[in-house]
Amino acid sequence: MPKQRWVEISVGGFMLLGILALVFMALKVSGLTMNADRNSFQVEAYFGDIGGLKPRSKVTLAGVTVGRVAAIELDEEWFEARVVLEMNSSLQGKLSKDTAAAIQTAGLLGDNYISLTPGIEDEMLGPGDTLRDTQSALILEQLINQFITNSSRD
Amino acid sequence: MTENLAVVEDLHFSRAATPIFSGVNLRVRRGQITAVMGPSGTGKTTLLKLLGGQLQPASGKISVFDQEVARLERSALFKLRSRMGMLFQSGALFTDMSVYENVAFPLRVHTDLPETMVRDLVLIKLEAVGLRGARDLMPAELSGGMTRRVALARAIALDPELLMYDEPFVGQDPISMGVLVQLIKRLNQVLGLTSIIVSHDIGETLSIADYAYILSGGRVIAEGTPAELEASKQAEVRQFVGGLPDGPVPFHYPAADFSEDLFGIAKEADHA
Amino acid sequence: MLDLLAGLGRKQLDILAALGRSGIFIFQSLVGWPKSTEALSLWVRQVYSIGVLSLIIIVVSGLFIGMVLALQGYTILVDFGAEQALGQMVALSLTRELAPVVAALLFAGRAGSALTAEIGLMKATEQLSSMEMIGVDPLKRIVAPRLLAGFFALPLLTLVFAMVGVGGGWLVGVDWLGVDGGAFWSNMQSAVGFQQDVINGVIKSLVFALAVTWIAVFQGYDLVPTSEGISRATTKTVVYSSLVILGLDFILTALMFSNI
Repeated sequence: MPKQRWVEISVGGFMLLGILALVFMALKVSGLTMNADRNSFQVEAYFGDIGGLKPRSKVTLAGVTVGRVAAIELDEEWFEARVVLEMNSSLQGKLSKDTAAAIQTAGLLGDNYISLTPGIEDEMLGPGDTLRDTQSALILEQLINQFITNSSRD
Repeated sequence: MTENLAVVEDLHFSRAATPIFSGVNLRVRRGQITAVMGPSGTGKTTLLKLLGGQLQPASGKISVFDQEVARLERSALFKLRSRMGMLFQSGALFTDMSVYENVAFPLRVHTDLPETMVRDLVLIKLEAVGLRGARDLMPAELSGGMTRRVALARAIALDPELLMYDEPFVGQDPISMGVLVQLIKRLNQVLGLTSIIVSHDIGETLSIADYAYILSGGRVIAEGTPAELEASKQAEVRQFVGGLPDGPVPFHYPAADFSEDLFGIAKEADHA
Repeated sequence: MLDLLAGLGRKQLDILAALGRSGIFIFQSLVGWPKSTEALSLWVRQVYSIGVLSLIIIVVSGLFIGMVLALQGYTILVDFGAEQALGQMVALSLTRELAPVVAALLFAGRAGSALTAEIGLMKATEQLSSMEMIGVDPLKRIVAPRLLAGFFALPLLTLVFAMVGVGGGWLVGVDWLGVDGGAFWSNMQSAVGFQQDVINGVIKSLVFALAVTWIAVFQGYDLVPTSEGISRATTKTVVYSSLVILGLDFILTALMFSNI
């Protein structure tokens, strides 16, 4: 029956379109990469205040995205934020151990992200290492507060 | 096996608050055409649905093929139904299938026959109702009489033992009416069927029935062979068989007194 | 007064009874659905008439909604100099809310009402009764394939809607208004999470699919078999489905996105 055949073919096409849409949403829209786990390595950093940093925030080096924030949790011994960074594996063994991490804001009102600045030591950063040199988020309200108290003291 | 194929004993049934049956007794004898007649709205279609297990009686016993229909499990009921055929008033053909597929449907779902055999059987059934040439038409392209004949072919596709007709003669022109009457009679003789005809077309029904019941007001008011009924002196039977507009079976739906009704409206109008 | 209360109580009981009937209905339809090849071909036919035939309206609406989103978003974002964030705005609103909800609403109007009318007409023309008398359970033969096809088709349509919507947003944002294409995609990719946005959107649409198909098929099966009954049931399908979709959307959004 040719009609039944047309029905089957078009339903097949419909399913294919649905799968295509799912793949598009996964790869192109949400930027999922199939082998994200294999092509990255993790380092840790401790911050006094992370501001509005969230998991999946960007990690940049010289403005170029080189990784993402994988997890954020509270270190209950020192009461600092422990942030796990997921870095592109191409950088493994190329960044020095004293690389600095700072939480910055994109524009005045934009998202927080972590900006890395390479250091000068010979020893290189590997998986599981901890970044020592960190700078907490600048919080606008605190800055304004400080500015007001300083200027009133003058 | 008893001689009675279907037995209804002391049947009570009501829809919402309106009683439809109050104490109906019927017997359908094997190999005969049994007619159930009565004015419109006496629940003749309901009776067939009760026999087919599509409705549950409030009380009383309905048994078909010696099995009590209301007590059966869903799967047993469907098995029982494959031994019955029913011709619906509207024909009820599946509108998304051709005539051929409609007749083949019961064969496809109840048997594992190969396609060639299904084809032969379908053509035999269609030939029996004289519509072998219409096999590729869709139900929408058929006239009312043809629709009913296709539905009849479908109802006999599985060679049922019991065939139920719901108002088979309603809305037919005299020619297709005659064709249907002959068809029902012949099928009953040739296939050795047992038939139940529910109808208010007295003449046609009595001409082929072996035994008839007349229903009115929720009970059987008369029964007998067509000859007995026609000779009956009972007033209700005379009214029904003779087709008189008013008599013991009332023409009017129960209402308050007519003049009172009219005056009542006049009074209300006065107030307004 | 007492009459009024009694009437109200009866109405409540009626609603409760209808709910109960619909529960029994879906249970009887789906339990022990035959897994034969014939059942599969019935299902495929329904996916065709429910899913494939709804594609055009889904694609066209998705395209326009994506384009409108980009246009509106651009005029707001450009004031803050943040038009780079257009991609993320379009994609997030589509995946989280608009694709599941609008696709489900369109589905209720296009496929749901058709389902109700089709089954209702089958009931009115005694096709369901005659199928029962032939010894075939219409719940299994007519209802079950339609339910399962609906559950399957709407999530797929939702994904297609989202994809086409993002495409429409790209068309207006990048191709027409001149937002940088690289920033459009990269901002989108950094903002949209596969699991918390795309998968949650699909879960939403699956829930909507269950609700809409159930309502549509049950309304058709349970209606009063007259022409007035059919038109009333079709209206009910669209109204109830829309309300249920919006109500469920609120609940699901609260569950899924409140703690992100």
